[in-house]
Amino acid sequence: MAVPLIFKTIEESGLSTWIRDSPSIFAFWFIISLHAIGMGLLVGASAIIDLRILGVAKDLPLFPLKGLYRIIWIGFAIQVVSGMLLLIAYPTKALTNPDFYLKLTLVALAVVVMQKLKTKVFEDASLSDSTMMMKGRALAMWSLLLWFGVVTSGRMLAYTYVYIKYGYAG
Amino acid sequence: MNLAHLHISLNHLPIIGTLVTLALFLVAMAGNHDDLKQACLALFSIIALFAIPTYLSGPGAADAIKESQDVSMASIEAHQGAALLAFIFMEITGAIALFGLWRFSRTAKHPWMSRPARLNLLAVLFFSIVTSVLMAIAGNTGGDIRHPEILSGPETASTVGSLGARLIIALQHFVIDSSMWVWPILEDLHFVGLILLLGAVGVLNLRILGFLKQLPVAPLHRFLPWGIAGFIINVITGFLFFIGMPGFYIVNIVFQLKMLTILVAGLNLLLFQCTSAFRVLEDVGPGEDAPRFAKVVAAASIFLWIAVIILGRYIPFGEVT
Repeated sequence: MAVPLIFKTIEESGLSTWIRDSPSIFAFWFIISLHAIGMGLLVGASAIIDLRILGVAKDLPLFPLKGLYRIIWIGFAIQVVSGMLLLIAYPTKALTNPDFYLKLTLVALAVVVMQKLKTKVFEDASLSDSTMMMKGRALAMWSLLLWFGVVTSGRMLAYTYVYIKYGYAG
Repeated sequence: MNLAHLHISLNHLPIIGTLVTLALFLVAMAGNHDDLKQACLALFSIIALFAIPTYLSGPGAADAIKESQDVSMASIEAHQGAALLAFIFMEITGAIALFGLWRFSRTAKHPWMSRPARLNLLAVLFFSIVTSVLMAIAGNTGGDIRHPEILSGPETASTVGSLGARLIIALQHFVIDSSMWVWPILEDLHFVGLILLLGAVGVLNLRILGFLKQLPVAPLHRFLPWGIAGFIINVITGFLFFIGMPGFYIVNIVFQLKMLTILVAGLNLLLFQCTSAFRVLEDVGPGEDAPRFAKVVAAASIFLWIAVIILGRYIPFGEVT
């Protein structure tokens, strides 16, 4: 299958070239660092909610953990922005790799699960902790599994690409 | 200062520190002094942290002196093998001690009466004895490199040295040559460890700083073993990266800075959040403010772990070509 020419156009743009090739410490390495920190916030905060629902730290009141959703959304915003910049830097590398689409799918599923968890467990402050745990159990397990899938498929992007740039095999 | 200096200035701490702490620990166990037990667990964890830069600066020190006429490669290899085994057992001792420390900090009354707690102490005792023997051999073989005049050549030392040297080769083969997927899987686990560490430490510290204020502080401490588990995963996977490509890491300034930051962040975590210093926070209930000192520690902790992540991602940037 031919690689769309638009990837080449993006790669030749100023922003793409700068992120990819600039020796500045604020180019590629800075963006990839942001992507790691965003992951830590997004997945770390989700995992804390999941673990609490699954029974870790049972003495901790569950409802106030709703506040962690703010961290989750901050992390998610960092991931979208830094992820877009990385995609602009390497469109061919990402978009010709099936693993990239797997990752995006898993991200979408994980976000939907976190949102369902929020409406199902955290909408009603009058629920007892044990009721909240029962209602959220399955979703929390899915969330952990999906986030693990997201991190793994994301990490594997560095090892499974076919082209590094338009016209350059990896 | 080069890596040889660093190695020489650090290397006495794990060896002498382990022996002295073991002696103190025996006194604490025999006399049943709970405070001394806690101090020894903290010391073992601290020594395990300092053993990391000590071990990692070893290959750099070897490179610095390899060219000298009066240094034999065989003595370096024997030392590297012994040091590897001493390092592994030191880290196991430190990990079990850290877990014991966490347990201790949660229960003020009779912390060591329960069966798992006693088993925890006995495990520390066993592994610290093994570590002491290995440390003594590592020290001996290390001394032989520059001081052949004191060469004693006991059989056990050379056996341990060659056993460790074979282990290095086996681990290197596992990480680099056994399959092209080993490295990516280790990377994946390294990221999972990062998430556990940042999640557990982050939620506790954010609460101390006043975010999520409706939460009582004490139960958040229950998440710390997950953070410690993440840290241990990352020490193991990071160590395997280093064993796989030592030449890439030893001279890399970003890697060195990362190790320094881990040392400071690790000390902060274990001294302030895994010892009974934590008990001042036990009473901070929902809606209450933590003491100012705890807030400073919490802010430093978040800052340092974020710095570790950033430095980790910049390691390829620091590659010396």
